[in-house]
Amino acid sequence: MATIRTRSRIRETLIRLSAYLTILVALILTLFPVYWIAANSFKFDIDIFAVPPEWLPQNPTLKHYDEAFIQRPFLRYALNSLLVAVGTTIVSVGFGTMAGYALARFSYPWQWRKQISFWILSTRMMPPIVSIIPLYLFFNSLDMLNTKSALVIAYTAFNLPFATWMMKSYFQDLPVELEEAAIVDGDTRWGAFLHVALPLARPGLAATAIFCLIISWNEFLLSLIITLTEQSQTLPIGIAGRVTQYKTYWGEISAAGFMACVPIVIFAFIVQKHLVRGLSLGAVKG
Amino acid sequence: MVRKLFLVLAAAASALAISGTAWADFTVLVPSSSEGDGLRAAADDYSKMKGTKVEIVQAPYANVFEQGANAGATKSGVFDIILMDDPWIPFFAENGHLEDLTPYFKQAGMEGPDNDFLSKSLAICRNPYNTGPYVCLPYVGNAQMFFYDAAKYKEAGVDAPKTWDDVLKASQTLTKDGGGRYFGYVFRGGQGNPVVADFMPIFWSYGANMFNEDRTKVTIDTPEGAAAMKTFLALRDVSPKGIESYNANEVGTALAAGTAASSINWPNWVATFEDPSQSKMVGKISYSPIPAGTKPGSSEIGHWTMGIMSASKNKQEAFDFMVWATSPEQIKISAERGNPPVRASVFTDADLTKQEKFRHYPVLMEAIQASTPRPRHPKWPEIENAFGIELSKAVAGTITPEEALKNSQAAVEQITGLK
Amino acid sequence: MARTASGTQIPELQPGGRLEHWAERHLRYLMLAPTMLILLALTIFPSLYMFYAAVHRISPNPDLPWEFVGPGNFVRLLTDAQFHVALRNTVVFTIVAVTFEFLLGLGLALLLDRFIRRLTFLKTVLMIPMMLPPIAVAITWKIIYEPQFGVLNEIMFRLGLPLQAWAGDVNLAMFSIIVADVWQWTPFIFLLMLAGLASLPVEPYEAAALDGASSWRQFWDLTLPFLKPVIAIALLLRVMDALRLFDLVFILTGGGPADRTKVLSLYIYQVAYRFADPGYAAAISLFVLFVTIVLSTWFMKRMRLAE
Repeated sequence: MATIRTRSRIRETLIRLSAYLTILVALILTLFPVYWIAANSFKFDIDIFAVPPEWLPQNPTLKHYDEAFIQRPFLRYALNSLLVAVGTTIVSVGFGTMAGYALARFSYPWQWRKQISFWILSTRMMPPIVSIIPLYLFFNSLDMLNTKSALVIAYTAFNLPFATWMMKSYFQDLPVELEEAAIVDGDTRWGAFLHVALPLARPGLAATAIFCLIISWNEFLLSLIITLTEQSQTLPIGIAGRVTQYKTYWGEISAAGFMACVPIVIFAFIVQKHLVRGLSLGAVKG
Repeated sequence: MVRKLFLVLAAAASALAISGTAWADFTVLVPSSSEGDGLRAAADDYSKMKGTKVEIVQAPYANVFEQGANAGATKSGVFDIILMDDPWIPFFAENGHLEDLTPYFKQAGMEGPDNDFLSKSLAICRNPYNTGPYVCLPYVGNAQMFFYDAAKYKEAGVDAPKTWDDVLKASQTLTKDGGGRYFGYVFRGGQGNPVVADFMPIFWSYGANMFNEDRTKVTIDTPEGAAAMKTFLALRDVSPKGIESYNANEVGTALAAGTAASSINWPNWVATFEDPSQSKMVGKISYSPIPAGTKPGSSEIGHWTMGIMSASKNKQEAFDFMVWATSPEQIKISAERGNPPVRASVFTDADLTKQEKFRHYPVLMEAIQASTPRPRHPKWPEIENAFGIELSKAVAGTITPEEALKNSQAAVEQITGLK
Repeated sequence: MARTASGTQIPELQPGGRLEHWAERHLRYLMLAPTMLILLALTIFPSLYMFYAAVHRISPNPDLPWEFVGPGNFVRLLTDAQFHVALRNTVVFTIVAVTFEFLLGLGLALLLDRFIRRLTFLKTVLMIPMMLPPIAVAITWKIIYEPQFGVLNEIMFRLGLPLQAWAGDVNLAMFSIIVADVWQWTPFIFLLMLAGLASLPVEPYEAAALDGASSWRQFWDLTLPFLKPVIAIALLLRVMDALRLFDLVFILTGGGPADRTKVLSLYIYQVAYRFADPGYAAAISLFVLFVTIVLSTWFMKRMRLAE
């Protein structure tokens, strides 16, 4: 009896150890490329391609940060990215939450609910590459090329379906009784949404917001066509611009790329406790 | 409550919609590489001097073409001037995106560009090539040169490579002795523009050409083409593994890091090779014209040229700027900023040639004068793509060189409608 | 009378201004309206344009009229070898990449859920890759894969393994793209799976434990069925994104070597912008859109996701 228990305890420990080991490997694999961007951003160009590689920068330098953020307008790009990402997120989460709530709670004639839900999701299936020409024509005719608002509008088209879908599923999982109680207590239907459902949906909102932020902060293809000058160009465009026809400026790219992930990662850590919970009730249920 | 929320949302939406676009007197589209940086600096000078506000739009290399084509196809006047890579000129000119410069020269009392410009630099600016009206002015005088480590070549028993056979001989020795860590030759094998750009000079130096003289037949699959392909693949065999994905950057890096002895590359790399913070080979790399095959060697021309978009609303201002920016004084300043000139007077300017970093100028001028343009065809991007796929396959070894030539011939015939 | 989805009756409205009354009465439409209007405005125009363009030959010369070619562009799809290559590559990429992302993401989520529940910090760290700009990810992997100076070959060298050209090797190029994509997007599946695991009910597991069911049986009989909707939506989102992969290929290989990594988005991009043939590009795009919609409708029906 005792030996069986010891054996099973040893087995348990072994399983636990190998689990930790696997997680450790996953962590290393996850972090190494990020570390590598960071490390390269502090190396002189010649050291980036040293053989054997310099695992730690031997002659650390801020040269590339100076090149990117002082000599080149990467600060400006970052500001544009920030404005566009925040703008898109506010619009998408705001409207998406209302639509998601409506689709989760209200009934519509002729099975509209189902069809509208699917239609909203299906708009996300359009390959962005094809909407570029029409969007270019569209913004050109409105004289909105090279504006941040054009980017916000275009990104909203991609984020709204996602936000609506996530929030719809989140609201579907919230018990309706609380809202009903509020209405019985004299609140309006809208008031019940605003005062009861919305606060409960905070984790869902946080999770949706971070997805919208990530997508619009990182978007490349549309920004490439719609923006022209540093007045509206975003970080990914700035980064891509350092891959030139003759030369790739690895150092600057690493510096800008590393800086580009900092704000999103910080935000992710701030809302981390909502991240899993926001999804666990919400979108993932479909 | 409802009202308040909708008001807030409406206000937020309209605040976002307000766009602060302040268009300048005219706008120039440039690549975000050194050419664009150079023209940007020039535009700043121009603004200060003339009080005109010049807006410079910088886009990644391939994107300059798209932005220009988009603006041209939609007749959008967002750009007044576009700084083009020369193979794009036929596309832009023949699709009506570029303004014919003849009337502007006439009005300014000029016949055309003066003859201090190199003749090959001017020839590409006319459409059709060398005979038609001017549709642009040359600004950056790029042409490929042959870069090699003279000491290593000497070690391998070749003093100064004159022919591709010399290159092959030295490279074979160097690669064999390199033990997989050092290579005699390196080139751009990346699918598309890169592999085509590094094959063309070899192709030409064996007397091959993509089209016959009057451009009525595709002439890729010929004995000359086969000879060029043979040399090209022999060079591949002495190049590093992974050459299939190399672009100018990888090639330049290999040379700067001292892991390869020779290659074809663009003059922009000279500055990097001579900069100790970026290169281990400062002062050790020799520059020469493209080696000969069965015919004299010829490098590929890759000029950056300025043209006026047809939809521009500020054409005269744009023309004035272009003439100013390509004047001898400005081209000299541009050269000092690191972009190769297009004028003989600047190439031979003693202020420059006495500096170490411009020691390649005589060779470069010679290379431009002996250069060949990529075939002038409005469908060049599509041709380049198709040819690039077949060359990439040949380099990767998934098809034989004969198949590559045959397929390329068929693909280009289909694209151009020539049979 | 408003009616909630669950069918509960809502009492009559409270007194208020007329506008508010009206707004309250039509709330279900008003709340939906902004999203509907924005999406209509931003998708109708591109869709109409796409359908119209797909049946025309469009010259890059704005002075030439569009030439009506009927189904010509679609017929061209049948014989276009480059399109077939791109289609095949896209399918291979999507299947392999999403499968690995799914298995790794689910596995990691199970491990963390079972062994280190508390450390939210660790979970967030594991999610970092999906937050990075794909363009920066592509460039980072390019440095890692670099055959001569890259870290990966250095590691191979130290381990005494043969050096590889990775993204530059005909046979490894697609594999290299997939690895980079798996690196970036496994965290996405991981996150969704964690969320799914967090909302599992407790009781069935207690019952199963009493019955003496092995962990494996519990996983197979309880966890997987409970996770099914989560898995379905995760796969749907990933497949939709994998079908339009662009940035990685654009930076890492440009479609080469030997066309081995040319995917549909890249080909559409080339046709539309390099070859300036937007009509044909629209036809290819419609094909992709059609396949995506058919696939997802089928999938959602099967997984009963529509409700």
